[in-house]
Amino acid sequence: MTYVISEPCIDVKDKACIQECPVDCIHDAGKMLYIDPTECVDCGACEPVCPVEAIYYEDDLPEQWSSYLTINADHAAAGPRFDAP
Amino acid sequence: MSTDLGLPSLGAGAGGLDLVPTTDAKQTAKDYTSDQEVRWCPGCGDYAVLAAVRQFLPTLGIKRENTVFISGIGCSSRFPYYLNTYGMHSIHGRAPTIATGLATSRPDLSVWVVTGDGDALSIGGNHLIHALRRNVNLKILLFNNRIYGLTKGQYSPTSEVGKVTKSTPMGSVDHPFNPVSLALGAEATFVGRALDSDRKGLTEVLGAAAAHRGTALVEIFQDCPIFNDGSFDLLRKPETKDQRLVPVRDDEPIVFGPENERYAVVQDGLRLKVVSADSVAPEQIVTHDASNHELAFALSRLSDQDLTHTVTGIFRNVDRTTYDDAARAQVQQAKDRNPTPDLQALLDGRDTWTITGQETR
Repeated sequence: MTYVISEPCIDVKDKACIQECPVDCIHDAGKMLYIDPTECVDCGACEPVCPVEAIYYEDDLPEQWSSYLTINADHAAAGPRFDAP
Repeated sequence: MSTDLGLPSLGAGAGGLDLVPTTDAKQTAKDYTSDQEVRWCPGCGDYAVLAAVRQFLPTLGIKRENTVFISGIGCSSRFPYYLNTYGMHSIHGRAPTIATGLATSRPDLSVWVVTGDGDALSIGGNHLIHALRRNVNLKILLFNNRIYGLTKGQYSPTSEVGKVTKSTPMGSVDHPFNPVSLALGAEATFVGRALDSDRKGLTEVLGAAAAHRGTALVEIFQDCPIFNDGSFDLLRKPETKDQRLVPVRDDEPIVFGPENERYAVVQDGLRLKVVSADSVAPEQIVTHDASNHELAFALSRLSDQDLTHTVTGIFRNVDRTTYDDAARAQVQQAKDRNPTPDLQALLDGRDTWTITGQETR
């Protein structure tokens, strides 16, 4: 299982989630941030800090954004790793 | 006076899983995931350790039903619920005692203990040191977040001096334990340390612990984001971690640091110190030897517990007859000497008796 970043993140990229993630599994790859499902440990630290409520637990992902599950996996695998400031 | 017990042993090089049944069935992390909802605070280091353990267990190739996780009391002690193995959420500080009994009576099990700094070092300090001394074939995962989290934030036996908590409003005056030094002093045959977020390093230490026949203590540094947030940040932040983390590997010289700023560990009298790698000849650099007890102890005290220099990896890994193997062999020996035992006769007998078949030495 994993947490997933969905549409509200697009062009927002607040990055508060990156500060919270204990295992650095959130990647910046373009217009939004993505969670690498193979690195995510399901701790949920990112979800409450997102100012636009873009982050959901896989099971709770709203129907209209269900495609973001694979989008996160694909982009996280392809995109560059985000280095914390 | 001591006597030669004359017990057969599994011999040097025996592995921790030698008597545990294996399986060829392909296992995944999912197989080791239970149907229980994981309940820790968001961001808790326990999640990272759980994910690492779920990924690691299938690589052992042993039967899931022969794997047991026993915990004491604390946040980390909820661990067994979340693994689809046998498990027991036991008594505060007493997980090593239950695990000792289990490992002794069931050599076909891979027995793991999950405990925390409070459970293992305060409430169960006594049981921990004796499990280590006896060298029972069990693996102890000590989650060290340097705080009591479950009871909402009191200082623990590993909290720093001066730590302000609910129970120490003016700062703790207690000197903390160094868990690795403590384990080495208690004659532990395997001692390792890893950081929760370093999955590779943690998995490597877990693998070596599982393969070790005897008690293995693995200290895992982890954050409690609610009551002790950022406790190990110096070991995580890119700008500080490379200067502070000292990974050691058996038979390899101890050097560390960022590429343009290498450091080395050298001997300084009876202790070790960190110097710039450029300032010393390669032969002066200490080579790690996991069979050297004194070196392991010196490494555990490379710096104060202020994370200035924090050694990770396997400090010590040596073979010594395990308590459970010896106990089982001795029971067998007694049975061999007296093939027709009569317990009732013993109970009905006099207050003192002579054990038949006892050799006079």
